Amino acid sequence: MSEFKIVGKPIPRDDAWAKVTGELKYADDFSLPGMLYAKVLRSKYPAAKIISINTAKAEKLNGVRAVLTAKDVPHNETVTRFGQSSEVGKGFEGLYRVLADKKVRFMGEAVALVAADTEEIAEKALDLIEVNYETLPGVFDPVEAMKPGAYLVGENNSNIIGQFGCSQGDIIKGFAEADIIIEDTYKVPFVDHAYLETEGGIAWIDDYGVINIRVGSQVIEHFRDVADVLGLSHNKVRYIGTMMGGGFGGKEDITVEAYLALLTWKTKKPVRLFYTREESILCHSKRHPFVMKYKVGAKKDGKLVALNAELISDAGAYPYLSPWVNLYATVNAAGPYCIPNVKVRTYCVLTNNTFTSANRGFGAPQPNVVYESLMDELAHKLNISPLEIRRRNCLTTGKSLSTTGQVFKTYVALPEVAEKAWEALGELAKCEDKNRKVGRGLAIGLMSYGRMTFLHDSSRCYVRLESDGSVLIRSGIPDLGGGQVSLLCQIVAEELGIPMSKIKIYYSDTALTPLAGTTTATRQTYMSGNATLKAARKIRKRIISKAAELLNVNPDKLDIIEEKVIVKYNQSQYLPLVEVIKACNTAGIELFCEVQFNAPFTIVPDLSNIRGMTFPDFTFGAQAVEVAVDTETGQVEILKLITCYDVGKAINPLSVEGQMEGGSIYGMGYALMEEVIIEKGITMTPSFSEYIIPTAADVPDVKAILVESGGGLGPYGAKGIGEPACSIIAPAILNAIYDAIGVRIKNLPATPEKIIRALKKEYFEK
Amino acid sequence: MIRLTNNTKILTQEFEYFAPKTLAGALDLLYRYQDKNTRILAGGTDLLVKMKTIGLDADYLISIKEIPELKFIDTDAGLRIGAAVPLSHIEKIEKVREKYPALYESIKSMAAIAIRNMATMPGNICNASPAGDTIPPLIAYEAKLKLVSKRGERTVLVEDFITGVGKTIIKRDELLTQVIIPEISKNSGGAFLKKGRVKADIAKINLAVCLKREGEICKDCRIVLGSVFIKAVRAKKAEELLRGQVINNDLIIKTAKKASEVIKPIDDIRSTAEYRTELARVMTEDALKLAWGRAGGEL
Repeated sequence: MSEFKIVGKPIPRDDAWAKVTGELKYADDFSLPGMLYAKVLRSKYPAAKIISINTAKAEKLNGVRAVLTAKDVPHNETVTRFGQSSEVGKGFEGLYRVLADKKVRFMGEAVALVAADTEEIAEKALDLIEVNYETLPGVFDPVEAMKPGAYLVGENNSNIIGQFGCSQGDIIKGFAEADIIIEDTYKVPFVDHAYLETEGGIAWIDDYGVINIRVGSQVIEHFRDVADVLGLSHNKVRYIGTMMGGGFGGKEDITVEAYLALLTWKTKKPVRLFYTREESILCHSKRHPFVMKYKVGAKKDGKLVALNAELISDAGAYPYLSPWVNLYATVNAAGPYCIPNVKVRTYCVLTNNTFTSANRGFGAPQPNVVYESLMDELAHKLNISPLEIRRRNCLTTGKSLSTTGQVFKTYVALPEVAEKAWEALGELAKCEDKNRKVGRGLAIGLMSYGRMTFLHDSSRCYVRLESDGSVLIRSGIPDLGGGQVSLLCQIVAEELGIPMSKIKIYYSDTALTPLAGTTTATRQTYMSGNATLKAARKIRKRIISKAAELLNVNPDKLDIIEEKVIVKYNQSQYLPLVEVIKACNTAGIELFCEVQFNAPFTIVPDLSNIRGMTFPDFTFGAQAVEVAVDTETGQVEILKLITCYDVGKAINPLSVEGQMEGGSIYGMGYALMEEVIIEKGITMTPSFSEYIIPTAADVPDVKAILVESGGGLGPYGAKGIGEPACSIIAPAILNAIYDAIGVRIKNLPATPEKIIRALKKEYFEK
Repeated sequence: MIRLTNNTKILTQEFEYFAPKTLAGALDLLYRYQDKNTRILAGGTDLLVKMKTIGLDADYLISIKEIPELKFIDTDAGLRIGAAVPLSHIEKIEKVREKYPALYESIKSMAAIAIRNMATMPGNICNASPAGDTIPPLIAYEAKLKLVSKRGERTVLVEDFITGVGKTIIKRDELLTQVIIPEISKNSGGAFLKKGRVKADIAKINLAVCLKREGEICKDCRIVLGSVFIKAVRAKKAEELLRGQVINNDLIIKTAKKASEVIKPIDDIRSTAEYRTELARVMTEDALKLAWGRAGGEL
């Protein structure tokens, strides 16, 4: 194609108007006649034996339609999946338990379900369920939980549920060659997804006896898992996904769906269940806290020679996606650097804390905090600029990842993005207040887009050109607010030469739309974008070939622009698109198709030493910040925030900038204020008055610099940006704080309290 | 302990709701139900949240929102503000902005606009949170409260009104009808400072000062700190250091240090005692300088 008409243009999204006018129907904006209200009874203790449960009083309460416990669930124990259809082996498949049975493993674990005529009655019924507990000691620290003889969270004889490793070279030799060695331990906390829309949905049984679940979910393929819980065939459960008010990985696991399905199956009535904010924070997944012990060695010129990392993560009370997250962390542990000698060991450990699972970044942001802090420390110690030390060590095209040895065949935008971000900071801000110190920080990083290649990922799309020149798309793509759905419309509009307004898309329905896979792993632009492009191009080819016949010109001389099939060298010679469609229809040429796009497939790696390709490709980025730190209050103000990524090709620059800005703020909260505090298994931050996220007034201007190398594997050379966008900012902020006041925070978040304490310690030590 | 899972955004409990149209009507109800579990509803931004989340219950709710007699703002002598006036109206009064900057700044620092459109000053006072933002400036400005009941009425200082966390001296049949702030003399200066975790937040620490200047001398002063004790406290020993003295930088630094020594902060979910003590010193210093400047003083 010569020149883009719609792709690459900052056009308003397909769903923009419906969202700003409030017309869009989210999961909560829906009800059915005779609908029941569900509530979940949750464990009062983080670790306890369930001696008995008596539901008799609750069942007798007027208006209560069902009370369910573990014994009522046909298959209460299955395995956690996230939409994959290939076999990956036992190393990844953890226990998924619908309702607590015999033992509770975390405070807030679901023990019983109630459906009642009103929400008030359902709540009253919860109070009437008598659960007799015998408390158990529990274990709340992953390092403690790893020790022999530790309290056992689950039924196995160890709390360690996953171990991963990779290595290259010889670290003993590597460290022997080093002129400087830095060793340190960093800690990062639990954080919440904090989406505006909490987890929720409505389920009913349709005329054909199929359980329909209308729900905000990133993984509509969970219909299979819900069917397995009920013991139904997979085609008897249907997900209808809604536009989501945020996902961030929090709607990647099953949330309310199994509960809804069980209650609607039992009562034969529609049932509604939405988590309160408190439930969402207390009972649903969090980002993994990690304890990360690092040792890096470099030569005097800053060249890295060795890296040894031991990562321990808190999986909380159930595995969910912990093994996968830890695999990501392992692969990402050495960052975007060429290091000849590397060893990484990762342990994923059960505790009696709230379970952890997917959270935007999926194991990439945690090690990034450490390796980028250490690179900064090396730069300071060796008196090399933060940019220069990265220039000397970063990956470039053709080099391989220091953990797995995966070779980068596509363009690696390093050190390009780092240079651009650093330069964009411009002049250093002047500051007259002697207690306000200004400093700058840089961080670079990488994050995969697309799923692990041994999952054999695929996506599908259906496109149909109507006789009036309008288009219908069907794709199972869930949209969590990132513009996933609109992106597909843009691709079809570009390829078929029609305006966005002539496209109607049906999305996220397991019965009616071809399955497009999950909206996770920053995969939809790449996977469903390619599937859609493939489908659109098939139809385009048929149109062009028919038009070529009618115009008697060579097909490669034709283009479709503004609903006309045009002869490129003589634009006055054309056929209206509808005429060509008519001709196709008359000739019996199919103007519809459903296609599948497959990612590269690899075999399941040896988890103790992961080598070779594990991801299709990576996105590279850099973030630079300038901060002012008040040395009397410890308050950090972000003066400038630059985000620069090679996005390959920005199909909609507005959406890409939105991801980069939002990602920066997501990571800024991680760096400065966010922490779900769990003390002995009890959540101390159960609402937004305790769990603090940045408000609009706390957000600085974010300058987004888009590098468009065209080197991505997505349509038109696009790369994924959703998760990479949030995975680098935290250490950039920490490095800027160090630059400003000479204090390094190694335990997120960097609150004013910690900064003041560190400053005082520094003062007394001097 | 917070009941974690029961915030359903609806009030599950049963109660009787009254919305009297006159002050006399409200006082009648308060008198009649004084021995019952009765609560007064003004803005509801604290009360309703507590009823939904921590199981605070009420058998009778008396709304004072529809009583015209409580919706007045009188700026003739000092300030008199009726109990049903929302905070967002108070911050728009020119006299508040110009003459009572500490009060103005405290209201501007509170929550989000939507909350300030509902919340009232008497609500903030009667809620008696140690972190209540309007309380330090009201004490600094020597504000009084009018408490009315069928038995009669009385006027008390804000400083004497609050006795502990959530505790006040109000009687069960009394209604706080207005806040009275004395006229501010010329050459006075006030300031309010607050540190939260984010821009719209409950204070980790807040404080208000009000100074009266006579030439280079500080004739009188009040320093009030919030969120560092069971209630907002005056740092009287620090005030004594300033009173009657020629003001200079060194004295302000000394005073600020003293203020940080007389408080008794705690560790909680928002901050630590160590940090609050540190901040009390820094913020008192800043607030005194700001207020002295506003009083026309030089340093």
